[in-house]
Parts: sequence; structure tokens; C-alpha cells
Amino acid sequence: MLGSLFSQYARTLLVAAALLFIVLVEALGMREAVYPSLLPFFTWMRESSWLGVIGTTYGSIYATVEAVHLLSMAVLGGTVLATDLRLLGVIFKDVPSETLVTGTYKCFKIALLMAILTGIFCAAGVGDKVYYMQVFWVKMLALLAASCFMLFIKQPLLTSRPHIEINPWSIRLLAITSILIWFTVAAAGRWIGFS
Amino acid sequence: MNENGKLDDKTIAAVSSAAIILGALIYYWIGEGQSTVELLELAYGSLKFFNNPLVF
Repeated sequence: MLGSLFSQYARTLLVAAALLFIVLVEALGMREAVYPSLLPFFTWMRESSWLGVIGTTYGSIYATVEAVHLLSMAVLGGTVLATDLRLLGVIFKDVPSETLVTGTYKCFKIALLMAILTGIFCAAGVGDKVYYMQVFWVKMLALLAASCFMLFIKQPLLTSRPHIEINPWSIRLLAITSILIWFTVAAAGRWIGFS
Repeated sequence: MNENGKLDDKTIAAVSSAAIILGALIYYWIGEGQSTVELLELAYGSLKFFNNPLVF
């Protein structure tokens, strides 16, 4: 009974488990307990790791990597906007939404990987600064949620069947959530730059 | 929805997680807007975007 329920609704149960985990982390004060222990890691990233040393010593390398980071975010944002605005019926109305969802996915994954790799380098160069920024943690949380939402929730549903068979309000909800969460990632990233 | 008209696992997971994330994001951005307004009121006494005598 329980086994069949789990196999039938595995994804839904995992979402519920993730929500329960977040509630427990907050309720038990685990976030406040773990936060101070992360400072030595960020200080090490800035002062001792080769990433931090290169980032703080060679400004040109830091600027180049940051440019790649911004370009990756631009490509990522482009794929998200193209897909989600098509799902909302705003642009590319003559192209089937299934074609855009599958066609932009590879580009999205490469851009996400590049953004994360270059982002680690950029964060290492200012590790002891971003540690104290609330907006940095907002960006990391939003990035984690956005990546999981895209890779494990949105894409599996949209590639499982023709979109005509999915409730249009579900598709609209997915598209609006996707746009807003990636907007939050981008806005928080720019906020870090101006803090 | 599957052929029996019941919501399937992927749809329930997608809709519920999207609703939770969307709710959290709206809550966050409204909070940020509210704190910005409070900061502006603290700085200028009352919120006045245009023709503010304190902004030269």
C-alpha cells in the first residue's frame, strides 16, 4: 500500500519532504547554528584557495571570468524568457511550444553550468565580503530552487506529453513561477554587485 | 492529467511546488518593497518621489 503510493506519487512526496525539511531547518534554528561555521570556509576561499588568490591578484582575469558569468546568465535568461513567454502565448506563437521547450534545454543546461563554475570563481574573490550579505544567500537559495524546479519539476512535466494535454493554467503557473524565480536570481546577483 | 481524468504525479508536484515558490517570491518582493518605502520615509519624512525639496 505504502510502497505503491510512493511509486505512484514519488515526485509529489519528494516535494513534500523538501518542504518539511525547510520548515524543520527554520523551526529548529539549524540555519543560525550552521551560519557561523561557514565563515572560515569563505575566508579560506578568499585568502588561501588558488581561486581567491587569482581573483584578488589579477584584476583582468577576474573581469574576464565575470564577463563570462554575465554572458552565461544572459544566455540562461534568454532561454528561460523564450520558453516561458512562448508557454504564456506572448511570443513565437507560430513555433510549437514543445519544440522550444526541448530545443532550448541543452543551451540552458550549458549556460547554467558555466554560470555556476564562473560564479564560484567570482564569489571566491570576494568571499569574506559576500558571506555577510543577506542578498548573496537569497541568490544562492533562489538559484538552488530555480535549478531544482527547472531540472526536476518543470522540464519533466513539459516533455512528458503534448502540451495540449496539460491543463493550460498549470502551464501558465509554471511559466510565471519560472520567470519570477530567474528574475530573482538575476536581480539578487546585480544587488550583490551594488552592495 | 492521465487517461482516467486524475491528476498524475508530475502535475501535482509541478503545480504544488510552483505555487509554494511563487508565494514565497511574492512575499519576499513585497517585503523588500515595504522596507524600501520605510527607508524612504525615514530619510525624507514622507514618501514623495517627485519634486522632493531634499533632493537637489
